Amino acid sequence: MDFLVQAAVWFIGLFQRGAEVFVGLVTGIIPLVIVLLTAFNALIALIGQERIDKIGEAAGKEGFKYMPLRYLVLPVVAVFVLTNPMAYTMGRFLPEKYKPAFYDAAVSFVHPPLGIFPHVNPGELFVWAGIAQGVTTGYGAAETAALAVRYLIVGLIVIFIRGIVTERITAFLWARRAQ
Amino acid sequence: MQGITKFLERIGRGAGKVVGTLYQAGREAIDQVVKNILPFMAFIAFIIGVILATGVGDALARVLQPLANSPIGLVIMSLIIGLPVLSPLLGPGAVIAQIIGTLLGTQFATQALPAYIALPALFAINPQVGCDFIPVGLALGEAEPETVEVGVPAVLFSRLITGPIAVIIAWVFSVGL
Repeated sequence: MDFLVQAAVWFIGLFQRGAEVFVGLVTGIIPLVIVLLTAFNALIALIGQERIDKIGEAAGKEGFKYMPLRYLVLPVVAVFVLTNPMAYTMGRFLPEKYKPAFYDAAVSFVHPPLGIFPHVNPGELFVWAGIAQGVTTGYGAAETAALAVRYLIVGLIVIFIRGIVTERITAFLWARRAQ
Repeated sequence: MQGITKFLERIGRGAGKVVGTLYQAGREAIDQVVKNILPFMAFIAFIIGVILATGVGDALARVLQPLANSPIGLVIMSLIIGLPVLSPLLGPGAVIAQIIGTLLGTQFATQALPAYIALPALFAINPQVGCDFIPVGLALGEAEPETVEVGVPAVLFSRLITGPIAVIIAWVFSVGL
């Protein structure tokens, strides 16, 4: 009989632990995310799609100096305003040879802003929140805030590098294909 | 008199538009939370609960710990996850990245991992981002079929190079955390 009781306690304990985690997540993350999402959804509705299209048209031009526009400004604005997955539609303004690199830069930016701008990809929040929640518990909220800012900054550097590298590899594969 | 009426009408219309936009934004926010965020939280809470209560977490942590504990280990992790064969399989819904991230999170919570590892870890768990979605993403950008044929391997190979680079840059930027 004792054994059964112990087994039952252990069994329900599995879920009680999960319930505690759930309450922590809901009270710790959801209220802030709801308010942020509301603010950014409204902002995006007010900015409108047409203004974003203009950046896309400029980013397609040839030349080295348009790289920051193509693999930094355009992906950032696209992800910020159109969010995942509609951000990739901005590739339509670019020449074919730049499209894979733009996609690579844009898709790599759907997680780094999550600590500050969760509206860009709320469905995949836990790429960030999983680690962030642990850092908050272990090292405090200030540490998590510093982490959020750095995640965003490093994300910017990484997408730019990714855009350039992928553009080169695309050019290489295209040349080989033509032979 | 007519001027005042017009003025009031304009204010009323403007306020109505702003309130309407905000209300719609709030509705979308709640929708996103209910449809995307809460289900994932339920799923994650269940997994973490079981992992914590059964001790499986300790076993998994022992496997991940050596990799997660040093920048070189994290570079190796990003190389494995970024392999062109694996990355498209690990990509969908970012589920793998979210689970590994949450597992590592439990290690930061107990201070088993130092805080400066968090930034490179965020990139090490995610070199496969979007690798499952390349043809669709390119199609959304109205790419030609030929572009897709070249673009898929281009992005996959690029990740093998830029995945570890991202971890190293993140490691440099984690100074002071």
